[in-house]
Amino acid sequence: MKIDYRGDADHHDGTSDATPGGYEAERRPGELAFALFLLAASLYLLWEAYGIAGFEALSSAGAVPMATTAAMAVSALFVVLRTARLPKVSTESLTRDILPFKVILFGGLLVCFGLLLVPLGFLPTAALFLVLAIKYLSGRGWGFTLAVSLGSLLLIWVVFRIVFTVLMPAGIVPEAELLQFIRNIGTEWGAQ
Amino acid sequence: MDTLLALLTVFTQPQLFLLVGLGTFLGVYIGAIPGLSVTMAVSILISFTFSWDVYPAISLMVGIYMGGVYGGSRTAILLNIPGAPSAIATAMDGYPMAQRGEAGEAIGVTTVMSFFGGLVGIAVLALAAPFVAEFALTFQPRDYMLLAVLGILLVGSLSAGSLLKGIFAGALGIAIGAVGRDPLTFAERFTFDFQIMEGGISFIAVMIGMFGISEALLQLHHVGADAMRQKIDRIIPSWSTVRKYLPLSLQTSSIGVIIGALPGTGGDIAALMAYDHAKRVTKKPTRPFGTGAMEGLVAPETANNAAVGGAFVPMMTLGIPGDAVTAIMIGALFIHGLNPGPMLMVDQPQMFWFIVGALLTANVFILICGLTGIKLFTKIVEMPRAVLIPLIMLLSVVGAYAVNNSVTDVYWMLGFGVFGYFMRHYGYPLGPVILGVILSRLLDDNWRRAIISEREDLGAFFAGILTSPLSLTLLLVCIVILLSQTPLFTLLKSRVSKETGDQL
Repeated sequence: MKIDYRGDADHHDGTSDATPGGYEAERRPGELAFALFLLAASLYLLWEAYGIAGFEALSSAGAVPMATTAAMAVSALFVVLRTARLPKVSTESLTRDILPFKVILFGGLLVCFGLLLVPLGFLPTAALFLVLAIKYLSGRGWGFTLAVSLGSLLLIWVVFRIVFTVLMPAGIVPEAELLQFIRNIGTEWGAQ
Repeated sequence: MDTLLALLTVFTQPQLFLLVGLGTFLGVYIGAIPGLSVTMAVSILISFTFSWDVYPAISLMVGIYMGGVYGGSRTAILLNIPGAPSAIATAMDGYPMAQRGEAGEAIGVTTVMSFFGGLVGIAVLALAAPFVAEFALTFQPRDYMLLAVLGILLVGSLSAGSLLKGIFAGALGIAIGAVGRDPLTFAERFTFDFQIMEGGISFIAVMIGMFGISEALLQLHHVGADAMRQKIDRIIPSWSTVRKYLPLSLQTSSIGVIIGALPGTGGDIAALMAYDHAKRVTKKPTRPFGTGAMEGLVAPETANNAAVGGAFVPMMTLGIPGDAVTAIMIGALFIHGLNPGPMLMVDQPQMFWFIVGALLTANVFILICGLTGIKLFTKIVEMPRAVLIPLIMLLSVVGAYAVNNSVTDVYWMLGFGVFGYFMRHYGYPLGPVILGVILSRLLDDNWRRAIISEREDLGAFFAGILTSPLSLTLLLVCIVILLSQTPLFTLLKSRVSKETGDQL
């Protein structure tokens, strides 16, 4: 591996925020569509900002939102014009370099995580997510997958739930009763 | 003599000494976990320490504050997820260093420079508190507004890519910061009639999504690549390395102290400004900025720790919080029957000197906590990506949820994560978005205060700027920064350097 390896040999995926991705003189697949989306979104937000207080006063609640969305719209317009003029990168495709199946799959998994977090609870949802994700990415056996997934989840749960007392959604798991049970064991142990 | 005794209280009482140490240790790890903010930790601590004596309570809080500001740099370096907003700039060069296998060296230098920055901040707090506070007090709303504009203009120089994309990202950040009910008129802004948007968008959710989730999604492209082994044999930097960066760290410490002393600003803005300063003054960085330049680590890390001492200046001398944590600490002092402000210095100078002593002790503990346990910490990045990526995603979800115990924040975080992923692919910098969200309130509030005080007269507003030396200086700096980002300036600069080269 090269010493300057930073996640991508060409550094075009924005590995560090100080060196954003893309190419200086070429257009990546989907780049123009993204720029057009940003322009449309900026114009819509400008319209929304105008709706806050119109041109009522310089000190109105809508003054700064209007100024910023106008700046967004103008810069997005120039980006669109500039991007449209650039030639396409010949060696890249949208499905391979920007949106491969893995990214779409994980996007979907994360959305499912968010949707199931409250009804199912943190522990089962996180366990399901970790098992599926690690099994798919590592391609290792079920023993490794279950040990790593459940072990890490237990560690994270102990740190967040017990040490930092962050209340995650309990869902179908009787978390409070479980904790009380553990505390009772601790108390009995101490009493002996 | 009494002053010296108060300063040494922490050292003479083992219980207080240990509490500062425990607080610093906890702070380092709380600061390193994205979503668990120092502000949150200190506010939870108030309820724990309510019945304690004031000295132990303050000892623990000071330790957590100091440790937390430093701790944010660890995950910024190792995972590209800033544990705290003040570590955003650290990630820009720290993470590329970790990807080269230099995490140990990066953390070592970060620790020593954080210690140095902390020392400068404490020295200023102890020696020049009244003067710095007096200077901050002279700032008018228009000056704060110009300061926010200055911060936003830094987007161009903070991002190596297109200026237009940087401006777009900064403006987007301000728009995100404006979401919710306007605090002045209660008007709805960008809520689209959704009730859940009335409270605004959590800055932490935006930050974790943009930096954490987008990073994890990007890493999916390279899941088969070998994990980079980290060199952890050189944790403690050599004296020559430290000496080399001392002049820069002294400059950026000064930036940190001044920015930290300005109410409403904090270590995050100080770190970003220091990073920008380093980019401007460093002629020959160890590597280009953004690819693992040591100067890009030294500058923000000294500044954000120096800002801690700075933040205490207005808090102790004027009763005005320098940032969110000092705002909570003012509340804690009130709970314990103390009145932070000018009279505290007169009535209870021992409390002021005790806090200075506690900060000094916490700073020493940063060295101890920071330079130990790194081996265990760096093992995180040597984990196979197949395990690390899902864990980053899980931690991001937990972190976003922990801010307000709200699933809505998780959805925001996921949305901004996906959006950030595309932004990174297409060359839009993420830092300015975060900077915009941070500065949004400062800009909005002070613009409105300034223009209301001029009775909506734009001419009078500009006349006010031109007649005030401070405002004029800030305006001129803004103009210079803006011009320096234009192609015309670059062309002129290259011509001048070429002519100079020819003459030589």
